[in-house]
Amino acid sequence: MPSYNLYMGCSVPANYPNYEAAMLKVAKELGMELEYMEGVACCGSPNLRAIDFMGWLTVNARTIAIAEKNGHDIVTPCNGCFASLKDVYHHLKHDDAHKKQVNAVLKKEGLEFKGISKPRHFVEALYSDIGIEEIQKKITKPLDGVGIAIHYGCHVLRPKDVTEFSPEIYQELVKVTGATVIDYPLWKQCCGATVLPVNEELAIRLARDKLKSMTEAGAVFATVACPACGNQLDLQQLGLKESYGEEYNLPVLLYPQILGLAMGMDEDDVGLSMNRVPAGSIIEHLTE
Amino acid sequence: MSDPVLIIGAGVAGLTAAVELADSGVNTIVVEKLPTVGGNALDLYKAFPTDDCFYCFEGNRWRPGIRKCFYRSALIDQPNMDLKINSYVEQITGNSGKFEATIHVGPEYIDAKKCIMCGLCIEYSSAFSLVSPQCQPQAVTYDPDKADEGDKKAVEECPTKAINLDAQPKKETVSVSDVVIATGYHEMKPVNVDEYSYGKHPNIVTQLELAQILDPIGATDGKLLRPSDGKPAKRVMMVQCVGSRDENYYPYCSKICCVYALKHANILTEERDASQVSVVYMDIRTYDSHERYYREARENGVEFVRGRVARVEPKDENELDIIVYDSLLDKYLKFTVDLFVLSSALEPPEGMDNIIDSLGLNVASGFIAPADLVSENEVVAGDHIYACGTALGPAEVPESVTQARAVASKILQNRK
Amino acid sequence: MTEADEKDGPPVVLVDPIDMSKLDSEFRNEIKSMPYGDELNACFACSTCTAACPIANVWTYKPHQLIRMIILGMREEVLSSDEIWLCLTCFQCQERCPQKVRVTDIFFDCKNLAAEESKIPETIVGLAKTLMEKGQLYEVTADWEREDMDLEPAVPGLSTNEFKDIIKATRTGKIVGGEE
Ligand SMILES: Cc1cc2nc3c(=O)[nH]c(=O)nc-3n(C[C@H](O)[C@H](O)[C@H](O)COP(=O)(O)OP(=O)(O)OC[C@H]3O[C@@H](n4cnc5c(N)ncnc54)[C@H](O)[C@@H]3O)c2cc1C
Ligand code: SF4
Ligand code: SF4
Ligand code: SF4
Ligand code: SF4
Repeated sequence: MPSYNLYMGCSVPANYPNYEAAMLKVAKELGMELEYMEGVACCGSPNLRAIDFMGWLTVNARTIAIAEKNGHDIVTPCNGCFASLKDVYHHLKHDDAHKKQVNAVLKKEGLEFKGISKPRHFVEALYSDIGIEEIQKKITKPLDGVGIAIHYGCHVLRPKDVTEFSPEIYQELVKVTGATVIDYPLWKQCCGATVLPVNEELAIRLARDKLKSMTEAGAVFATVACPACGNQLDLQQLGLKESYGEEYNLPVLLYPQILGLAMGMDEDDVGLSMNRVPAGSIIEHLTE
Repeated sequence: MSDPVLIIGAGVAGLTAAVELADSGVNTIVVEKLPTVGGNALDLYKAFPTDDCFYCFEGNRWRPGIRKCFYRSALIDQPNMDLKINSYVEQITGNSGKFEATIHVGPEYIDAKKCIMCGLCIEYSSAFSLVSPQCQPQAVTYDPDKADEGDKKAVEECPTKAINLDAQPKKETVSVSDVVIATGYHEMKPVNVDEYSYGKHPNIVTQLELAQILDPIGATDGKLLRPSDGKPAKRVMMVQCVGSRDENYYPYCSKICCVYALKHANILTEERDASQVSVVYMDIRTYDSHERYYREARENGVEFVRGRVARVEPKDENELDIIVYDSLLDKYLKFTVDLFVLSSALEPPEGMDNIIDSLGLNVASGFIAPADLVSENEVVAGDHIYACGTALGPAEVPESVTQARAVASKILQNRK
Repeated sequence: MTEADEKDGPPVVLVDPIDMSKLDSEFRNEIKSMPYGDELNACFACSTCTAACPIANVWTYKPHQLIRMIILGMREEVLSSDEIWLCLTCFQCQERCPQKVRVTDIFFDCKNLAAEESKIPETIVGLAKTLMEKGQLYEVTADWEREDMDLEPAVPGLSTNEFKDIIKATRTGKIVGGEE
C-alpha cells in the first residue's frame, strides 16, 4: 500500500471540504495511505514567490524537509501548492547556493532539505501509483459517456520541465469513469485565479472565456483538481449573469467527486451539494 | 592534346576550378586582374562555417602545405596551371568548344619566382608594396605611377635580382576549349545611401572594411581601433540591408551579410574587448545551420534592434550619435558609438556586364544566370561556358567551392 | 520616458529618443543572475510569448516588449510597470518560447526586484499581511461544513508559527513592517 505525506495547503480545507473528503475516500478505497503532515502551513502561493522569493523557497523547502523525515512523497490536491512545492524542489535540486542558504534556516528546527520526497499532485499519484487498470476494477457505476471538459490548471501543466505532468494523465482518469473527454479550444488557458487580487474584472473575464469555450464545445460538466481553479470556474459563474448577462449552468466537479460517484459512493459522500453551480444532475448519468 | 580551359578570376571559386582541373590533367589558364589571387576572401580572418582560416576548409585538408597555404602549394607545384596576374581578357571569339581569347597580360615588373619578400625595395621606394602577407604569388608589387628615384636603387640592391622596371605589357592570344567565369562580387561602397553618411566620417565603414580591421595580419594587427584616432573602439553598431532588398539599389537579399555580420559581432565580443555591440536589422537571415551564429551573438550580449536608423549625427571626429527607431517597442533609441558598420550590398563586379554581353549570357540582377533557367545546372552559363562562385550571385565560400567543383566535373565529363 | 534634461526649449526635431547611455545596461545581467534568468539573452524578439499570452491584449507593454526592455536596460520602466503584476503566471509564454527564455519566471524575478524597492500593488501587500499575521491565506471559518463531510473541524497537523517566523525574517517582514 503506497503511503504519502498529505499536504492540504490552506484553501482546500477552508473552502472545499467536499474535495478533501472525496479525495480521502477514493484514496482509501484504492489503497493509498494519506497521512496529514504535521506542523505545516500555507505554501505562500505564487504571490509569495513574487514578492519574497527566499521566504517562499524556505517555507516550501521546510514542508519538503518535514516529509523527508519519513521519506514518503508528498501529495497535494491543490495546483498552487503543487506548483510551489515542485518548483522549490526543482530549484533547490539545481541551485546549491540556495539549498545551503535554506538549510541554514531549517537547521534551527532540526530539518534539512535533501530532495528525497517528491512533491506530487494527487491525481498524478493516483494515475502513476495505482494505475488505470486498478481504478477500472473499482468502477461500479460508470458514467454514460457524458461529455466532461477538463480544466487542467496552468500550474500542473507548466512549466513542463518542472511539473513533469502531462494532460493524458487527467484525460485517462476521466475516461476511466466512463465519461467522454471534451476537447475545447481554450483547454490550455488560465482560469484567471492569480490576477484576482489585482484585477478582478480581468480574472472574471478569463473564467468566463473558459466556460464559454467549454460549453460551446459541448461539455455538460467540467472538472478541476484545484481549489483556486474551482473557485474561478464554479463560484464565478454565479456572478456572470450580472456582469456579462450570460448563464452557463455548467456544473464544475472536483475530480475525486466524479471518481467517487463512479466507484459507487453516494452524493453526500462526495459533498455534491456544496458545489456552487448545482451538480446533482451528474447522478442521472451514472449507470449500474 | 585538347586546348586549355580559360578561367577568369582567381578568387576561391576560380582557383578551386583551376586546381581541380589541373589535378585531373587539364591545362588551365587563370586570368586575374589583381596582383594576387584570393579575391575577396584574402583578408577575411576567420570564416564561417568552420571558424577556420579561409584556405583550410575541411575538404582541402588532404593537400600538403601549412595553414592558409592550400593554393600556395598548388600554385607552386602544379605545372598544369598558368596564372596570369595583373591581366584581363580583352576579347573572346568563336564558340562551342573552340574559343580564341585575347588576354592583356600586365607587365611583369617583379619575377615572383625570384622575389623572397625581403622588403628591401619597399624601403627604397613607395612604388613597391606588399598587397598582403598572404598574397599569392608571394611577391611584392610595383606601381609605375608611383615611380621615384628610389626604384633604381631597389633594382640594384634586390638580393635576387627580381625587379625589371622595363617590363612591358603583352597581348596573348590563346585557343581555349571552355571558359569559366569566376569574377566574383564587389561590396558596394554605400556612398549613395546618404542616410548612413558613409564617406563623411572616418568611423563609418563597411563589413569588408571591418574584416580588414579584424584581420590579425592587417594594418592594425587585428586590434579593434577607431580609424579616426587609432584609439580602441568600444561601442560598435552594425546596420543590415544597406542597399540590399531595396528597390532603389539592389532588390535582392545579399544572402550572406547577416551571417558575416554575426560572425563579426561574435569576434568583437569574444576576442576583442568591445563593450557594446548592436545590430540594427529588418530580418536576420541566417540560413541552414548558421543560425548558431545568431544565438551565440545573443548569448554574447550583442544587442539586436529591429528597426531602422533614423539619423546619424557625428558628435565629433571620433564619436557618432545614432538614433534608431525600434519597431518592436515603437520607441526611438539613441546610441553613441565609436564605429558604425554598414552591411552593404554585394553587387556584380565592374566589367561583369561586358562579359555577359559579349558572350550573350543570361543575366539576373547583374550577375550571371544559368543558360537553362529551369535546369539544375546552375553552373552552365552557355555552350562550353561556365560560371561558379559569386559570379552567380552572393554566396559563401563552401557554396562557391561546390560550384567550382561542379564546373570541373562537367568539363571533365565533356572531355571523356 | 526619457530623462528630463535641462534643455534650452524643445529639441530641433520632434523625435526625442531614449538615451541608451542613461539606461541601466547592467539590468540584463542582474536578471540573468537571478533564478531561471540565464536564458534571457537568447530572446530574439519573435513575439511568440505575446502571441501565447491570453491577456497581453490589454497590456501597454507586451511580454516580448518587457523582455526587450530588460535587455535594453529599461529597469525603471519594467519594475514600475503594472504588467508584471497582472501576469497570470500561467506560463503559456514560457512554454512556447522558441529560445527557451523563461519568460514567466523572469517576470517573477522582476516582481522580486520591484518588491525590494517597495513597488508592490496594495492588494498584494494586503496578502503579504495576511500571510504574516495568519500564516495562511485562507482560514477555516465554516468548520461545520468540514464536520458535515466527516472531517476534523480543524485541519490536522496545521501549525502556522514556523511559517510566520520564516517570512518575518525574509522580505515579507520588511514589506509588512514597512507598511505599519
Ligand atoms: C565581409 C565579408 C565577410 C565574409 N565572410 C565569409 C565567411 O566567413 N565565410 C564564407 O564562406 N564566406 C564569407 N564571405 C563571402 C566570400 O568572400 C565569398 O564567398 C568568396 O570570396 C567568393 O569567392 P569568388 O571566387 O566567387 O569571388 P571573389 O572572391 O570576388 O573573386 C573574384 C576574383 O575575380 C577577379 N576578377 C573580377 N573580375 C575580373 C575580370 N574581369 N578579369 C579578371 N579577373 C577578374 C577579382 O579580382 C577576384 O580576385 C564574406 C564576404 C564578405 C564581404
Ligand atoms: S627586394 Fe627583391 S626579393 Fe626583396 S621584396 Fe623586393 S623584389 Fe622581392
Ligand atoms: S543577408 Fe541579411 S543583411 Fe544581407 S541583404 Fe539579406 S537580410 Fe539584409
Ligand atoms: S517568445 Fe521567447 S524569443 Fe520570442 S520574444 Fe518571447 S521571450 Fe523572446
Ligand atoms: S505567464 Fe503572464 S505573460 Fe506569460 S502568458 Fe501567462 S499571463 Fe502572459
